[in-house]
Amino acid sequence: MSMAFDTLNVCWRELKRFIREPARVIMSVVQPIIWLSLMGNMFQMIGKLPGFPTSRYLDYMAPGIVVMTTLFGGVFGGLSIVWDRRLGFLNKMLAAPISRSSIPVGKMLASTVQSGLQASIILSVALLMGVQCTTGILGVIVIILVAMILCLTLSGISLALGAMIKTHETLMVIMNFLTMPLMFTSSALFPLEFMPSWLAAIAKWNPLTHTLNPIRTLMTKGWDWAIILPDVGAVAVFALVVISVATLLFRRSIT
Amino acid sequence: MPSIITTEGLTKIYPRGIKAVDNVSFEVEGGEIYGFLGPNGAGKTTTILMLITLLKPTNGKATVCGFDILKEPSKVRESIGYVSQDIAVDENLTGKENLLLQGRFYHLPRNVLEKRIEEVLQMVDLTDRADHLVATYSGGMRKRLDIAEGLIHRPKILFVDEPTLGLDIQTRHKIWEYIQRLRKEATMTIFLTTHYMDEADALCDRISIIDYGQIKVVGKPNDLKSQIGGDVITLKFTKTTIILAEKAIESIRKMTFVENIISTKDSYNIIARNGETTIPKIFEAASRVGAAIESISMKRPTLDEVFLAYTGRALREEEGSREELMSERIKLRRIRP
Repeated sequence: MSMAFDTLNVCWRELKRFIREPARVIMSVVQPIIWLSLMGNMFQMIGKLPGFPTSRYLDYMAPGIVVMTTLFGGVFGGLSIVWDRRLGFLNKMLAAPISRSSIPVGKMLASTVQSGLQASIILSVALLMGVQCTTGILGVIVIILVAMILCLTLSGISLALGAMIKTHETLMVIMNFLTMPLMFTSSALFPLEFMPSWLAAIAKWNPLTHTLNPIRTLMTKGWDWAIILPDVGAVAVFALVVISVATLLFRRSIT
Repeated sequence: MPSIITTEGLTKIYPRGIKAVDNVSFEVEGGEIYGFLGPNGAGKTTTILMLITLLKPTNGKATVCGFDILKEPSKVRESIGYVSQDIAVDENLTGKENLLLQGRFYHLPRNVLEKRIEEVLQMVDLTDRADHLVATYSGGMRKRLDIAEGLIHRPKILFVDEPTLGLDIQTRHKIWEYIQRLRKEATMTIFLTTHYMDEADALCDRISIIDYGQIKVVGKPNDLKSQIGGDVITLKFTKTTIILAEKAIESIRKMTFVENIISTKDSYNIIARNGETTIPKIFEAASRVGAAIESISMKRPTLDEVFLAYTGRALREEEGSREELMSERIKLRRIRP
């Protein structure tokens, strides 16, 4: 009970900070929209390739961009812990009788809620651009939730690193180093069938691919539980493992 | 008054073998303002961090409010407040929101919390700025807000690490007033650290002088000062009666409170206990032999002399570590608009 309350308070603070910085909110939404309109049109012809899953490239990449948004949102989840440590706020929280785990979990939750918000905006823009979602509004909600699970995982990794790395510069470099390869070794922008086999092999293990499979299914095929459930299950289990490890590492870093 | 903090052989050795706190034992009584006085790097902050359960001691024991810091850390946390030297307020929140968050961290019920927020805001004179973002606050206001946050749950002991570090003189005096008022109005025990002599002297009922991780001496500031020796009375005779001066000095030397007389080029430094009562007697002695006094002044010994006597060196601002400098710079950058 107390742990849930403490977590919500940590999360509340992060979200307050987030909405107080409109530039951050706007830019985090504008950037993926630019990707969407720029790349969606630039690579329009890809959709004409024989065997390409969708007739328009935009339809294919829209889910990719939604997931990319949650990826970027999660990647920097660990930064706040590094700043809090440096500015003394971490010690202030630790001096209070709050559950120790509530600090990392609250922060992960906050960046997940933020990303969910951003992903919703981007998906709405994509729908306005003519991208179809066969499962309707309910499908859209599930898509956002699945994307949020990925954000939870990424912010967990970021936080685990943030617990060990004491400077934000180093953390930024490492996380930047992680994001692009994660993005390009997944099915976010290209189907696995169009990749060289070695790349496809990597992509099969990429959590992004497993997040994208159910999302694409919901957008183009419908409620195909045989595809949706195993992938969502895998992503959720992975997220749980990462959260536990991150929380453990955080707890170890403060003693 | 029973002891509210006790430590026994408290020791902290950091990974690279640095002994930050070395076998420290002391007791703090309920209701007093107890100060740790020492230069940067003397082990003051490390001691606080151990007492507030954020750092595990390498050796030794301590109890805070009757709770063992190792066995019952959450009980300790519930009964104390902590104001760090970092001015750790969130500048993206308003003053009120900072207090709200802090109160929730201490699990205060909603209706109690609302009243407390009003109360502590008034105490530190921030009521009219409560709904402004902390980013617009001056350094002194931030410090006051930080202190208010430490009070929100009415702790039995407030730990204040370097309460006026980096603040200007006027703000420092203001903060001192708040701390003194706190002790009077809230009957709270306050444990503070400082490297300012005047701060320790003005605020603390008792101080420990700490250097290289060890407590050198504990006592009331006035007792420590009088232990050092007496007041210093500087006496100067008029030139025309200088021949008679020696005679006067002879009789002054025999007075009960006078410890020592040092003659300098044109004056005498008389070291005496109870300087105030000695001065009239000096006048009497001088007039008896017909020597005229040109000027007389008295200086009480300060903690500077005390510190020098117990550590063998003067207390001055020492170069901080790189990390300290860095965080200092960040703090300034945040405060300056």
